[in-house]
Amino acid sequence: MDKKPEEPPEGVSRRHFLKGAGAAAAAVSVAQLPSEVQGSNGTEDEPTILGPGPVPIQLRINGVDGQTEAAPSTTLLDLLRDHQGLTGAKRVCDRGSCGACTVLLDGRTVDSCSMLAIDAVGSEITTVEGIGTPENLSDLQQAFIEKDALQCGFCTPGMVVSCTALLKENPSPDREQIRRGISGNICRCGTYQNIIEAVEHVSRKGGK
Amino acid sequence: MKPFKVAIPKSVEQASRFQKSDDSPFIAGGTDLLARIKEYVVQPETIVDLKRIEGMTGITSTDDGIRIGALTTMNEVATDGSVTDDYPALSETIMNAATPQIRNMATIGGNICQKPRCWYLRHEGYSCAKNGGSGCWAREGENEFHAIFDNQVCAVTSPSNVAPVLVAYSALIEIQGGEEKREIPAEDFFITPDQDPGREVLLEPGEVVISIHLPAKNRTKKWSYTEAREKQSFDWAQASVTMLYDRGGRKGDHRVVLGAVSPAPLRRDDLEKILKSGSLDDAMIKKLQMKIGDGSHPLSQNGYKVPMLRGLIAQGVRNISGRKEG
Repeated sequence: MDKKPEEPPEGVSRRHFLKGAGAAAAAVSVAQLPSEVQGSNGTEDEPTILGPGPVPIQLRINGVDGQTEAAPSTTLLDLLRDHQGLTGAKRVCDRGSCGACTVLLDGRTVDSCSMLAIDAVGSEITTVEGIGTPENLSDLQQAFIEKDALQCGFCTPGMVVSCTALLKENPSPDREQIRRGISGNICRCGTYQNIIEAVEHVSRKGGK
Repeated sequence: MKPFKVAIPKSVEQASRFQKSDDSPFIAGGTDLLARIKEYVVQPETIVDLKRIEGMTGITSTDDGIRIGALTTMNEVATDGSVTDDYPALSETIMNAATPQIRNMATIGGNICQKPRCWYLRHEGYSCAKNGGSGCWAREGENEFHAIFDNQVCAVTSPSNVAPVLVAYSALIEIQGGEEKREIPAEDFFITPDQDPGREVLLEPGEVVISIHLPAKNRTKKWSYTEAREKQSFDWAQASVTMLYDRGGRKGDHRVVLGAVSPAPLRRDDLEKILKSGSLDDAMIKKLQMKIGDGSHPLSQNGYKVPMLRGLIAQGVRNISGRKEG
């Protein structure tokens, strides 16, 4: 039983399929994407009309400029997960009440499920993948492991993003400030206490 | 979501003209409209995205107070120095609303134009006075969080935390339709279902809220904002009391506005008069508590809001009497 689970065969897992699909769409749009968002009918007198079909969208995600094609009705969360293969942000309530989809937009936390991807054009998007990697964890991610700040792990990416933003704004938050900082993230396992301790641990060490 | 088109106007005039001809909903922060689209309560073919219009964000000082651009986010309003210094009740009410993430996305213009949070109104299966049908399901149904005042036609409560505070500060809502601009006092902007069950604010087709003007006259008053809700985060108020207390005392121009207990913020002249009648002591609290339920018609499950208001106004008087002059 000590064998690591095998990688699914190439091309069959949902995640691999979606990643592939996202890359293909991006490749198409690179050649034809001059402006931030492309639309039709855009004149001085009339609004630009996008959609309802896919349009090229240029976004800056985790420091990298990229293009993809998606319907203008696509939320930022669905674009990240289904078109960019960035599945760290989770789709849980899809109504902005649980915070599992939290990402940073120009350094501020937002619920990526509750905004359109096209409204993120021109902003710097940071997902949990941009905060640290398994090989190079951020101080906070390391503290989450050390302080056992997760159980099922589903809220963790959103919690990490919210706590990272909190520490950037206030490197030495007190307990009440930490509670307020994560008040937009629900942990149904109830691991709040350990999450607070992880933030305090990083704060004491002067990390981020 | 059913895919839709997004119209991106470059100016308010464009947005206004397009929306008037097309009846498409406006979107700003998106936290209200996208949820209603996901629930199939509305299924627009096109939405009009206001976010790219320039000149509608930020807070500026004017000859008479401050002007807040309608696209300024809730968090930007609540943390702005001119708001925390001169209009602290506005900052307080915003920090009580929603979550940090929502406050970073939602705009103040969108907040005052959001649709009520009635669970019948937000369910695709119910038709009522508010969405083109007739009657009110909540009056005889599940009405724990509904209105106790002005609830005969429709029992929704005004969902905006900001609205009663704007009424208290005598804010002016600046509106643009086409090239025409007009300003409406907040007290008239929020309307009740007996005025028009189909809308909550006094916007005509094509009109856009472009800014909110907070006049200087109320900024030095002592203040209190008290609110009760079930959860500490991401919850709507069950009741709120906004109070401004003029240093003039007996001759003062005071404000008492109730929130989340009626379809529009409810200014209470009778309670403001009581504030003129003497000093802020326990006898005054008693008088206010005796009066605050006057005119209410609680439904089967929301009678608790009357004693809740009594508790909130008592706390409000204590907040004011304990606060230094502004």
